[in-house]
Amino acid sequence: MKNMLLRQSSRAVGRQELWRLRRRGLSRLAPTATATTTPSTTLSHTHPLPANLRSSALAQQSSTRRQFHATRELQLVKPVLLADIGEGIVECEVIQWFVEPGARVEEFSRLCEVQSDKASVEITSRFAGVVKKLYYDAGEMAKVGKPFVDIDIEGGPENKEVEALTPPEPVSTPEGQQASKGEAISTSTPQAIAPELEQAFIEAPWAQETPALSHSPVTKQTGKHASLATPAVRHLAKGLNVDITEIPGTGKDGRVLKEDVYKFVQARDSASTPSPSAATPTLPGVSAAAAAASAFSSPDATISGPQTEITVPLTRTQEMMFKSMTRSLTIPHFLYADEVDFTSLVELRARLNKVLSKSGLPEGQVKKLSYLPFVIKAVSMALYKYPVLNARVDLVSNTNGKPSLVMRSQHNIGVAMDTPSGLLVPVVKNVGSLNILSIAAELARLQSLAVAGKLSPQDMSGGTITVSNIGSIGGTYLSPVIVEKEVAILGIGRMRTVPAFSTVPGEEDKILRRQICNFSWSADHRVIDGATMARAADVVRTIVEEPDVMVMHLR
Amino acid sequence: MAALLLRSTTGGFRCLTKGPAFVSTTTTTLSSNPGFGLLTKLRRSYSTTTLSQDLLNKRVQVYQSTSHDPYLNLSIEHHLLQHSHPDSYVLFLYINDPCVVIGRNQNPWLEVNLPALQEAEDIKLVRRRSGGGTVFHDHGNVNWSVICPPAVFDRDRHAEMVVRALKDLGITTAKVNERHDIVIAGDGRGNGKDVFKVSGSAYKLTRLRSLHHGTCLLNSPRLKNIGKFLRSPGEPYIKARGVESVRSPIRNVDIDTEEFNKRVVDEFLAMYEEQFGEDVKVERVGEEVKDMGNIRKGMDELTSIPWIYGQTPQFTFSSRPTEDDPRERPSLDLDVQSDFNIEFTLRHGEIQTANVSGLKYEGPTMDEDFYDGMVSQALAQGSDDESAVKLYEINDWATALKSATSGQAFKMSDSSLNSISGWLNKVFPGNHFR
Repeated sequence: MKNMLLRQSSRAVGRQELWRLRRRGLSRLAPTATATTTPSTTLSHTHPLPANLRSSALAQQSSTRRQFHATRELQLVKPVLLADIGEGIVECEVIQWFVEPGARVEEFSRLCEVQSDKASVEITSRFAGVVKKLYYDAGEMAKVGKPFVDIDIEGGPENKEVEALTPPEPVSTPEGQQASKGEAISTSTPQAIAPELEQAFIEAPWAQETPALSHSPVTKQTGKHASLATPAVRHLAKGLNVDITEIPGTGKDGRVLKEDVYKFVQARDSASTPSPSAATPTLPGVSAAAAAASAFSSPDATISGPQTEITVPLTRTQEMMFKSMTRSLTIPHFLYADEVDFTSLVELRARLNKVLSKSGLPEGQVKKLSYLPFVIKAVSMALYKYPVLNARVDLVSNTNGKPSLVMRSQHNIGVAMDTPSGLLVPVVKNVGSLNILSIAAELARLQSLAVAGKLSPQDMSGGTITVSNIGSIGGTYLSPVIVEKEVAILGIGRMRTVPAFSTVPGEEDKILRRQICNFSWSADHRVIDGATMARAADVVRTIVEEPDVMVMHLR
Repeated sequence: MAALLLRSTTGGFRCLTKGPAFVSTTTTTLSSNPGFGLLTKLRRSYSTTTLSQDLLNKRVQVYQSTSHDPYLNLSIEHHLLQHSHPDSYVLFLYINDPCVVIGRNQNPWLEVNLPALQEAEDIKLVRRRSGGGTVFHDHGNVNWSVICPPAVFDRDRHAEMVVRALKDLGITTAKVNERHDIVIAGDGRGNGKDVFKVSGSAYKLTRLRSLHHGTCLLNSPRLKNIGKFLRSPGEPYIKARGVESVRSPIRNVDIDTEEFNKRVVDEFLAMYEEQFGEDVKVERVGEEVKDMGNIRKGMDELTSIPWIYGQTPQFTFSSRPTEDDPRERPSLDLDVQSDFNIEFTLRHGEIQTANVSGLKYEGPTMDEDFYDGMVSQALAQGSDDESAVKLYEINDWATALKSATSGQAFKMSDSSLNSISGWLNKVFPGNHFR
């Protein structure tokens, strides 16, 4: 079973495969956007990932390389997930418990016995600790991959491993925290947000109301976690001279998010004169903010007590998103994913950054290049060869009612960015005429505007294709959603170092380090066929793997 | 006659099919030196054992039971599971007296025809510790049980082993199906095409060990009656959680049990003995080990009424279709009102809630709803504590229903009482051990 998964990860995985794997509950290749956000703000358009399963697979792995840390005394109550018992079984019946809340368990002591069709299985504990809560009664069906018991773990298990046990919460690495600089990303697919945002600008009067609106539906949760916030958020609050305990948190468990801080500041300063440019920051792209703000799961995450449900109606933004997302999915997507060797690009970038740092630069030019400008330029070069990817589908304006393709000459590449006010997709115009430096400069400009909430409608409109760099948060493969009025989108995964065999003839047995990154393309299958996508993706891949090719195309 | 014929032909086959039989089987065979080397081991050494820990620590162990007591055999099996060395491979073969064996989490009132069992008098009711469905054992059925480390556990691995043994004995069409059962086509020897199940499997997985055991219908004389015992009169009225049995058409393989045992031992050792290089004896176990601490404890548990009846997960019983169980009910010919309905929910075999209506009463004032309520309450009394009404302790429903109205001014009309308790006694006939 595991071999099959490993083999598949090294070739392009079709969407069908992903669905099948995910249904079997064993997929690690499903979009890893950890978009399990709070119930009221689930905006994710990636397929709801059973990330629990992924982490339970991790949990199974990590037992073999666990190190025992005696130094850290950490009292943690962790929900323990029911590990995969094999045979593709997703739920089984609890026959009897051997423990009850309050019972002390050692590593390997029996917790319960479960049964699925013909097999009765004894589940043993992986940790020493005290049982806190049983999630199922004897006779109920327990779901594989979901928590079945809470154990108060004593001693200092590695935080990483303990996280592997918990149901994942919106996660972003500390890199993602610096959303204001560098590649900005979002855990939910950003692309479908863009048309919704365009609409927001069309309905400008509506936008002005949002400061008032956004307060009312949100239930003020100043519960026991009123001061619960990540260090980044605390820092922000401090910087803005805000007492964090006064801010109502909208994140999980009443956590205070960056967006909450900004909202609070705005409400405090002036609620009376919203400017049109304030429209952008007041759009709560909540899931993105939620994801960006919580850097890691807090130890107090689990609350004992019964399940409570609070119905929260969708905000205007969410309604817009809902509609546009639904529209986006009328596009039949197909996923094309590939691995790209970034090793040469990494070297080139290092060299170029050295040059840039030395030379005295005029104001307004970037001092440091990231990978994104290279990728954007590569995409543009591929679009010259395959202009159909830059087109859009037109269903209405043709007089005889048939659909048609509208080819576009300029390459306006939308870049998804994670901002305090949420996910935005500003557009870098006419990439075909820009060089790497100017692309980078434009990116930086758009980024600073986005953070300040000052993006203009021109900056947001006119996109012909979109690129999303989700890899700076995490994730390998994704299945991005195409923005309305476009036919393709590229999602870039995380870069990682892998061993690979040398391609130098004569040294084929030598193992080298390579930096690998996964590109996941989605395209509109009504007008783009797999071969075209494959060829275009190949062009991008060739350019990225051998960036010197760009030298040949210098004008 | 057929049996005799078979023996002579297998005698002939032995030399010819040993080699190819090995080569043609699935990849789970570990032995690289098949065939003729084993011919010399046709005479295995047998010894009677007391299940010492030394013995349980050997890499490869083979046991054969001399007892036909199902409770003892299962306890021995459980003891082997718990105390054999974590890296060892154990085979245990046993034959039981006639009994119906239900799975760990099954519902005896749903799976078994308890009145028929009680009538038959010599058929025991057993709840085993592994999962799966309900089966019938008797002297024509051999139970084989393999315990191995979890790392090599595979649902088909040892089923294939038994298939090889069957093929050796001339059952050429034996194979393992997708439900990990062993099936044969026709009579197994090439006549007929219908598929029949001859063996079912169940598993128990603990942290250190994996147990796979199964039956094999060799020459049961009661084949025709098995169906009768496994169809419960309460089935239309009971909705249970837990594993349901899956019915399949069955037949005898028609071979001698001793032959079968020998072959299975051969195949088992072919898989493991060479690999671990030992000279394995077939150990006989039986009544002698009855007094070993663990085994005695195991038997006490398996024979206890709360284990057999009380380990039943929650289920509902209702004489009319309900939301949870909307099936049509067969019409009851009882002396009751038109709105008659009995509903119980039961947990661990104890009545948790009871709802009775439509009984007929004799008494001064007719407040039937109130009387119904009293009866319901009496039945569901003490549902949270020790005094809950246990289904398996009600040996006669007439008495139980009468005592529900004892001390009251009203009582149920006799004909009503008799007809209802007649029906309830069939569905819930008290416990088997009188």
